[in-house]
Amino acid sequence: MVNPTKHVGQPMKRVEDPRLIKGIATYVDDLRLPGMLHAAFLRSPHAHARIRRIETGAAKAMPGVVGVFTGADVNDQCGVVPCAAAIPDLKAPKHTVLAGERAYFAGHPVAVVVAQNAYVARDAADAIDVDYEPLPVVTDPERAIAGGSPLTHPELGTNVAYVHSVSSGDIDEAFRGADRVVRQRMVHQRLTPMPIEPRGCVASYHPGDQTLTLWSSTQVPHLVRTLLPGMISVPENKLRVVAPEVGGGFGAKLNVYAEEALCAHLAMRLGAPVKWIESRRENAAATIHGRDQIGEYEVAVTRDGRVLGIKARSVADLGSYLQLLTPAIPTLTGLVLTGCYKIPAITMEIVGVYTNKMATDAYRGAGRPEATYLIERLMNLIADDLKLDPIEIRLKNFPQPDEFPFHTATDLQYDSGNYQAALKEAQRLADWPALVRQRDDARAAGRLFGIGVSTYVEICGMGPSKAMPAGGWEWGCVRIEISGKVTVITGVSPHGQGEETSFAQIVADRLGVPIGDVVVLHGDTNIAHYGRDTYGSRGLVVGGPAIVMCIDKIIAKASALAAHLLSVSVDDVEFRDGRFVEKKKPDNSVDWARLAGEAYIAKNLPPAFEPGLEASSFYEPENFTYPFGTHIVAVEVDRETGDVKIVKYVAVDDCGVQINPLLVEGQVQGGIAHSIGQALFERTVYDENGQLLTGEFMDYPLARAHDIPDYVMGSTVTPSPGNPLGAKGVGEAGTIGATPAIANAVMDALGPLGIRHLELPLTPERIWRAIGQHAGVAAG
Amino acid sequence: MIPATFSYARPTTIDEAIALLTKHGSGAKVLAGGHSLLPAMKLRLAQPEVLIDIGRIAGLNTIAERDGRVVIGTMATHAEIESSALVARACPLLGQVAARIGDAQVRNRGTIGGSLVHADPGADFPAAILALDAELRLASPRGSRSVKAAAFFEAMMQTVVQPDELLFEITVPKTATSAAYVKSEQKASGFAICGVAAIVDAQAKTVAVGVTGVASKPYRATAVEAALRGRALTPDAVAAAAALAANGVEPLGDIHASPEYRAHLAAVNTKRAILKAVAQG
Amino acid sequence: MHLHLIYQLPAPRERVFAAMTDPAVLQRCIPGCEQMIKDGEDSYEAHLQVGFAGLKGKYRGRARVEDRRPPESYTLTVDGKGAPGFVRATSRMCLGEKGEGTEVICDADVQIGGVIAAVGSRLLDAAARKMADDFFRALSRELTPMSAAQ
Repeated sequence: MVNPTKHVGQPMKRVEDPRLIKGIATYVDDLRLPGMLHAAFLRSPHAHARIRRIETGAAKAMPGVVGVFTGADVNDQCGVVPCAAAIPDLKAPKHTVLAGERAYFAGHPVAVVVAQNAYVARDAADAIDVDYEPLPVVTDPERAIAGGSPLTHPELGTNVAYVHSVSSGDIDEAFRGADRVVRQRMVHQRLTPMPIEPRGCVASYHPGDQTLTLWSSTQVPHLVRTLLPGMISVPENKLRVVAPEVGGGFGAKLNVYAEEALCAHLAMRLGAPVKWIESRRENAAATIHGRDQIGEYEVAVTRDGRVLGIKARSVADLGSYLQLLTPAIPTLTGLVLTGCYKIPAITMEIVGVYTNKMATDAYRGAGRPEATYLIERLMNLIADDLKLDPIEIRLKNFPQPDEFPFHTATDLQYDSGNYQAALKEAQRLADWPALVRQRDDARAAGRLFGIGVSTYVEICGMGPSKAMPAGGWEWGCVRIEISGKVTVITGVSPHGQGEETSFAQIVADRLGVPIGDVVVLHGDTNIAHYGRDTYGSRGLVVGGPAIVMCIDKIIAKASALAAHLLSVSVDDVEFRDGRFVEKKKPDNSVDWARLAGEAYIAKNLPPAFEPGLEASSFYEPENFTYPFGTHIVAVEVDRETGDVKIVKYVAVDDCGVQINPLLVEGQVQGGIAHSIGQALFERTVYDENGQLLTGEFMDYPLARAHDIPDYVMGSTVTPSPGNPLGAKGVGEAGTIGATPAIANAVMDALGPLGIRHLELPLTPERIWRAIGQHAGVAAG
Repeated sequence: MIPATFSYARPTTIDEAIALLTKHGSGAKVLAGGHSLLPAMKLRLAQPEVLIDIGRIAGLNTIAERDGRVVIGTMATHAEIESSALVARACPLLGQVAARIGDAQVRNRGTIGGSLVHADPGADFPAAILALDAELRLASPRGSRSVKAAAFFEAMMQTVVQPDELLFEITVPKTATSAAYVKSEQKASGFAICGVAAIVDAQAKTVAVGVTGVASKPYRATAVEAALRGRALTPDAVAAAAALAANGVEPLGDIHASPEYRAHLAAVNTKRAILKAVAQG
Repeated sequence: MHLHLIYQLPAPRERVFAAMTDPAVLQRCIPGCEQMIKDGEDSYEAHLQVGFAGLKGKYRGRARVEDRRPPESYTLTVDGKGAPGFVRATSRMCLGEKGEGTEVICDADVQIGGVIAAVGSRLLDAAARKMADDFFRALSRELTPMSAAQ
């Protein structure tokens, strides 16, 4: 037998890291092609304006400028930016690659300059004179659907893109039978994903082969290859998309953007490679944003804290147009709004709204952080109203471990779970009784000290094809090379998740080869012909089983060859620690090097044996996976300044079987860092004229090293029964579990002052004002 | 993030730098650490025709003792000031302030002179040099002159430095250890929403309080100083006096902090800075 | 952003009104104004080098005088744009008699866009006030009897 745990389960350092740390990795901006030209975009400074005239003469006349293109030059030759979300009765604007008659958000590309270098391109973009007629702007989604609002797209006649309803169980009965109804309005602020590497691409056309290669800083090279042929006139089989090293995505690069199509189009049109590298400011203004939901929530509960039903109505700000999954993201919120609780009835209405802002789309967690924040805040509000312990009320509503697979009111089938165990483990790690004493002592001394708990379940391993817009399977290929070395090719496209390491761990154990002999390739559609890429915590969970299937096929094939070489029947051969062994005579064996040599030299093969040792597979998941966990946070609030200090942070995450605990910990830590930002200070701000005021790191606060507390990390392991690895995925857990835990802790700290709820982010000023108001003293 | 065209000069003496400034006038900008100027140029908010890099003028980053004062060269980086043994001994307030600026990368490149001349309303050093009654020494074709810190800042991002002048050193009196800097930072940029530097002279029974980040230019909280002159610095007395910290100033407001919150922080941080300084004495 | 500014000028209303709508005077008094060309009835094209501290940019724009009620009031609209963004301002200028001189009250709504809105907003208020202060200081010099002798 193989030893499946020699590498799997070990906290191995990432094989990716040395090249990243040494600065010798190749990102898009590192690419230099002969004759390469540089593109720069001119973007609308207006949030909404009619474009009366674009004067490009001065720009075109500048030395080094190869071309200047406006919407009139390209929009009839490039298809519109695609949206893959299928929502009934969706009203959608036709979003062309460059603005046509109108620009409808600040940052909307209006013209593109191509020049011999990036400096001239930028200078020439400045020399373009656009005559704008400003039009009325709407930035507030609630105002956008009230009467008399300016319209983001007059041709649609409304700012409402869609109304989506989720409904299950007898909601009226739930509210009739309730002892109490808890209500709260909650706002999920807009956030900017801000990967450290902005977007960028290089497009190169080979006129002889008529092939186009697009290198792009993307999470989804295969989706780009699927969708780009609909925008430019290159067939899929003449198109190669490469995601080289990608410096973070967080969902922002789970998209097909206008700039990618335009650079491809211009490379063909101009007969030269075209490079475009996004600036930070462009990234803030014209790469998708996340969250931005406002809602009213009502929960029907019994006196003893059982939740009978939830009524929710939320307004989701989609921004000014639809990117790949824009309208689908808020609907995910409805899907997991019941959280990790047995809630028999739910109704949620989501209104997707257009405003003159950048499009929202998938940002780390995508819909689930919203839902988790809502339900976890609501659970605390219920506990407050009923004067019950927040832990007790959670335990009261959890499904029992033996109730899994657990069917939710929203028609999800939670694969496996033991929510009680994760909660208990978190309490143990937090030293709960001591933490409570610490709070009691602090309060007795007049300090504002709070403890917050969040329990969560989320949807990972996206996903079953029937539930995904364009297939949710994954593809993989494993090849034993003639030398016995192993090449693994995956259709997922890691950009920080570490699958070069975790897949090598799986393969080394299952094939019994040294891990150093395994190379994992990805991110190039000419190498990984098919794939559905990386998002929704799917890389390991869906990509991994495809690799396992390949390994099983190869071992089966190799067994036949081994039997032939060992002159025994297949039934007498056993695969053990990287060798195929005659069961009764263990010293009669062959290793991979010998097998591979024979398989490729092909002079001594069994009858009907295909040469080579390679297998590829498509893995189709039957269900999503549902990781879960508990986060416990203790904070102290500075009564005078409103500053929040995280005193203790405990995270217990159950992502099923862990292939590499170090990678798990890294993912959770990064996610919590995102959440600290969301909970305490991050927000994307547009002014009432639609100007983006958080367009640089000068004004958009990401969590920095000194904002991060010491984490106490733990885990429980409840394998997923749905895949051969038992893994559930962990890319988004931190962002989902942490925000409500921090918010609950801050609100617990402020509770003694009579403060019931504050919106995110819980900035010092917001807290200071609330303290002032509740102290009966006018703030300021 | 590509600046407009500019030409670049790298003088090796102060005289050479002054000659270049004189020649190019207001079209020139002096490049020190570049941590504010270069981002502004990349955004094309600043488009100087000539950049005069003073980074190769020998001796401009010297930190030394002279005539009973601590002399700090304009090109001394925040990190150099933070780690200077002389500063720690003879004027610890400056080291404390330097340590609260930005992050390690910023402190390794940013300079005291660049920060003072740029006069960002949220810069940290101005609070300290005001409280310390520093003198700023400027060179120009007319020779050199000294300007008191209190007269140096004119308005937001505006100082008395003329287009043909170069700030070449800052001198501060040797001060005791009874000094403290308390800062509330703007989360994104790390600049001060309110930074208060306080120096307590227990014998003379005086306090000096410099405030940055609150108004369009840094200021001395003279009302606080007057209220505490000759008084015992009890917590109650300090708190009562600190409430006057934003008296007579028009606080700034932006997406990071409203005018009311800045004014409130001025009082809180002033109280904390004075009490911390007292505790350190 | 809204600005409410009050200035005292040492000349009677008629003269102040005339000066404030005279392109030659405006070119001399608007800080950084390199060119001011009258290109229509009450309409001017301007080229400005607007600088605030080290942050300096070239802007071109159009200024219009509307709702002209000499010598009491008029509305000035300014529409300027440059590489860092745009500035649009509408200002109601009211001229009142104050002793020998004139008091000008300007109520301006200023809108900015582009990079200057994203990173320059905290400076805008101060920059606008400074520009207005500089303008009225220059105008005041222009209107004092001494300057006539120069």
